[in-house]
Amino acid sequence: MSEGRRAPGALESEVMAALWAAGRELTPAEVQSALGSTLAYNTVLTILGRLHDKGRLIRRPAGRGHVYWPAEDEAVFAAQTMRATLTGRPDRERVLQQFAAALDDADAAALRAFLEADRP
Amino acid sequence: MTVWVYVPIVLSAALALLAGPIAARSAPAAGALALAGAALTAAVTSTASLILLVATLIDDLPPPLVARNEPGRPQLPQPVPDVIAITAIVLLMIALVRCGTDVRRRGEVHRRLREAGRPGEGGVVIADWAAPYAVAVPGRPGHVLLTTGLIRLLTPAERRVVLAHEQSHLSRRHHRITAAAAVAAALNPLLIPVRDAVSYLVERWADEDAAAAVGDRHLTARSVAKAALATLDRPAGAPDSSPGRGSGVNGMHGARQSHALSRVRAMTTPAPRANRAGLIALGLLSLAFIVTDAAATSDFITFAAAWLP
Repeated sequence: MSEGRRAPGALESEVMAALWAAGRELTPAEVQSALGSTLAYNTVLTILGRLHDKGRLIRRPAGRGHVYWPAEDEAVFAAQTMRATLTGRPDRERVLQQFAAALDDADAAALRAFLEADRP
Repeated sequence: MTVWVYVPIVLSAALALLAGPIAARSAPAAGALALAGAALTAAVTSTASLILLVATLIDDLPPPLVARNEPGRPQLPQPVPDVIAITAIVLLMIALVRCGTDVRRRGEVHRRLREAGRPGEGGVVIADWAAPYAVAVPGRPGHVLLTTGLIRLLTPAERRVVLAHEQSHLSRRHHRITAAAAVAAALNPLLIPVRDAVSYLVERWADEDAAAAVGDRHLTARSVAKAALATLDRPAGAPDSSPGRGSGVNGMHGARQSHALSRVRAMTTPAPRANRAGLIALGLLSLAFIVTDAAATSDFITFAAAWLP
């Protein structure tokens, strides 16, 4: 897809997700490859800078540039809020638009078969 | 009173039977909106029927307030049997309590999850939690809540699918459609299958939007399949230490039907075209609700006019 079709803020979301998926500090070049897309290095740098300015990323100098990692307070707080709101309450989960939930064994087997058959 | 007053209730059952087949064959956006609209019409008119049935109890008021059957004069119109009117009172109370509970709980969950993001932030909020969750939290501007448990399962391209799917929920305000269907099902439990069909179509709608955004239906199918299987391996409601089967999401939902497999299958075939027959059927059914409700109301006015002095 062309990068221009993304919703505003979508790139920031992808960068945050990539850093969390990595689970360690990343250089801008590593973020660029972790995004798995054809994003320009300068674009990645701009987004990292913007997220750092917002306080969502922490960075320290490394080599000739910086390495970045997510500010964890926000994620820990979000996890606590989610857990307190949702855990053990089926009626509460039902009100959400969840990406995927509630699977029985037959469906699970069919989905596994789909992913198996699909493996490149 | 004639049979008209019961017809919206019978038609609700008919709508419930139609909901599944229509959901399976519809383009998601049109299907979701038409089914939610029909569900609301059904809920309002069947609740109106209950109110009319309760109101027929006026014939039991003491004589100065209402007329009496007297020998030699034409009989006053028959009300419905008291047992039906009393049943209607009970059903009406249950409906109002269920409706209140649903609205309150929905508001509470959304309000509390909004606190997980910073005010006015928008975008994505990541929660450092091993349970695999991706949730659209509506609001202004609303945000997407993703857990690290889900992020780490997916490839970068699959993460883009999930983000685009949740953004679709937010930008199209899907929570309003699902809330309308849920309120309808709370007022009239016969409509529960319609509510479930609407929630399926809303997920399909977001899947189609995500597929369009990433330009790949197959990738979308893979992402849905992977995320759904992840909830099985680690039920979202279970504590991190014991991701036991049969508890958490799967056990708790019990009878709730899984949509993941149907969504994956739908994504491996071309996008469905508009199902004109289904939409016409829903339109006619909605009209039938309104017409029979009007007939029942007119019945009641005749009845009440005869009894009230």
